[in-house]
Amino acid sequence: MKLRMRLALTTAAVALAIALGLAWLHWTFETSERESILAEYALTQMLQGGRERCEASPSTWSHEQSFGPRGPPPGGPNGPPPPPPSRNWFGRKEPGGPPPPPGGTVLFAYDTELVARNPAAPPLHQKLATAMRKGRETAGRSPGLDDRGMRELVVRMPWASGPCAFVLARQWGPGPRGRRSPTPPPDMLVFPSLIALAGVLLTVGPVVRRLRQLTREVRTSVSSAYQGHITLQGNDEVTELARAFDEAGREVRAQMDLKEQREQTLRSFLENTTHDVMIPLTVLQGHLAELQQRAARGEPVEASVVAAASQEAHYMAALIHNLGAAARLEAGEPAVQRAPVDLNALVERCMSRHRPIARQQDVALEYAVPEEPVRVLGDDILIEQAVSNVIYNAVRYNARGGHVAVVLERQPGSTFRLRVLDDGPGIPENELSRIVERRVRGNAARTRGPGGNGLGLNIAWKVTVLHGWRLELGRSEYGGLQVDFLGELLSEAEPGGTRRTPGIG
Amino acid sequence: MGERILLIEDDHQLGAQITDFLGRAGFEATWWSEGRPLQPGEAAAYRLVILDLMLPGTYGMDILRQLREGSDVPVLILSARNDTADKVRALKLGADDYMTKPFWPEELVERVRARLRRPVMQRQNAVELGGLSVDLESHEVRVQGKPVELTRVEFELLAALARRPGAAVTRQWLVENVLDPEREGTERTLDVHVSRLRRKLGPGKHIETVWGIGYRLGDGEGS
Repeated sequence: MKLRMRLALTTAAVALAIALGLAWLHWTFETSERESILAEYALTQMLQGGRERCEASPSTWSHEQSFGPRGPPPGGPNGPPPPPPSRNWFGRKEPGGPPPPPGGTVLFAYDTELVARNPAAPPLHQKLATAMRKGRETAGRSPGLDDRGMRELVVRMPWASGPCAFVLARQWGPGPRGRRSPTPPPDMLVFPSLIALAGVLLTVGPVVRRLRQLTREVRTSVSSAYQGHITLQGNDEVTELARAFDEAGREVRAQMDLKEQREQTLRSFLENTTHDVMIPLTVLQGHLAELQQRAARGEPVEASVVAAASQEAHYMAALIHNLGAAARLEAGEPAVQRAPVDLNALVERCMSRHRPIARQQDVALEYAVPEEPVRVLGDDILIEQAVSNVIYNAVRYNARGGHVAVVLERQPGSTFRLRVLDDGPGIPENELSRIVERRVRGNAARTRGPGGNGLGLNIAWKVTVLHGWRLELGRSEYGGLQVDFLGELLSEAEPGGTRRTPGIG
Repeated sequence: MGERILLIEDDHQLGAQITDFLGRAGFEATWWSEGRPLQPGEAAAYRLVILDLMLPGTYGMDILRQLREGSDVPVLILSARNDTADKVRALKLGADDYMTKPFWPEELVERVRARLRRPVMQRQNAVELGGLSVDLESHEVRVQGKPVELTRVEFELLAALARRPGAAVTRQWLVENVLDPEREGTERTLDVHVSRLRRKLGPGKHIETVWGIGYRLGDGEGS
């Protein structure tokens, strides 16, 4: 349903409810006014000789009087006394004299027991009798809506004794204002309702127009990938809605830009990755081709060629692990899992991974871990990748006959130090500070010479930052490089996770 | 006959390769190319289980969970997925080790050996390695059956290494835990004690120097 139709229907429903309420109020006031006039009329009749006549012949007394629409002028010799001042529909006194009770009115007398001596008098209705016995001054009722608007009213007389202690006034015909309709006058209901309806429709018109304009603008904005402009005028709810649409559009646009940027990063990442993997793969293919040719010629296989091929395969595995780690680091916190990590077991795993290649390169790879496992909270895979990178670099860029040592130690103050040191050529002092902060995908990072290990060290550095640790690079006492991972231990209060595995050698 | 190892791996080439390497390393490997639940009684026949996670028709974690309901046999997980959540889950389910592909066959053999060595690592009062025997309770040291007289510091030094035979111990740890910190707490002093101890133990590399780390109790064979 359209907004305008809904508002019109709502207005009509509210107007109807108001009309019914007003009608009830109108009927209540009219009844009250009619009873008041009747009571005054009965009392005046009895005070002006009615009592004497009634008490003289109570078995026959009754008093009947008929009026025209307005009756004879009040205060005449045979006419009724002037009735009490009436009140209009809203209870205000009307100017001029009070009107007499309209229609036909009959009075009957009842004694103190509320019994009529006159057999023509109707028996007093139970409801009225009860009200009188309770000491009420007057009590009225309407026998029925179909009884030509008859109204009964019992009035207690000031003397309260004798056969005429109570008087019943019965009246037929319309109420005091001569109208029988229970509804208030149409000018008081219909016109205000119509005016309200027209007002509502007029007010709604511009709102509906602005909403339509907003709808058009939002649709245009959506079709133009949220590039369109939304008009903001005024300071009302519609403007707030427009502002909300505008903000939502800008947010969507920002998200789309970010997504576009990420896709761009991913594309260049894939290009770089392909490049990185293709080089060692090509070298590996070269080695394999040479081995194949030698085998075809029946020549003995040269151990150095096999070792070189193995190193390329190892390099590729390390590279792919690093690319996976880099992707997870790029994705941020949700991709990073935190659980208790046993560093002793982690160091052992790194050892078993790099020992074969160290052996091939004739590099001595040794390690030491404390007897009691060193436990930290972090991402097991990422930490392992970080430590593995540093160890791999130390092995890979060492000379034959070189040494690499990995030492895990507990330090004072619930901290640990994981040290990787070698006696290789190391890195010049001036490069140490910036090597870890090098952009991952910088060209130099993809160079495979000594020092061209940007991705691995950069991941190590990022992982330490992510875990709130420190990565310190320096010259080892044996002339090569020393890399220290420094961080906090898992507090004993934290819930355990992985099973403890004692260190072995 | 070597120790029995069960390998559950669906890739035929890799499965055959691993079985071959384990056999050459002296193990008796049984290879299942399909995953199925392992009954506790069945598991008792093996010293170690190598379990691939991604198996056709079933999931390695489910096999592990069922296995752990009735068996403590060590389990080494193989997975092509390098994800922390997988790893943590496997370790929580009772896996003992986790290896991601690709790996060197030597690495696998080394890990298997490390895992099987573990029960032997139980605390013991006497350590025998090569010709050297160290009784940690009675403080008695013998080389080729002949008793060797050691000073208190020398014995403490030897005992510290003998408690973890084969493991490298840092010089710093030895200085802090073996030497008297009041009197002689430097690495230089430690080296002096080691050289005296080596002399007393005689020929053979009982106490090995580990580059960049410290010392290790070896089997007394040549370098």
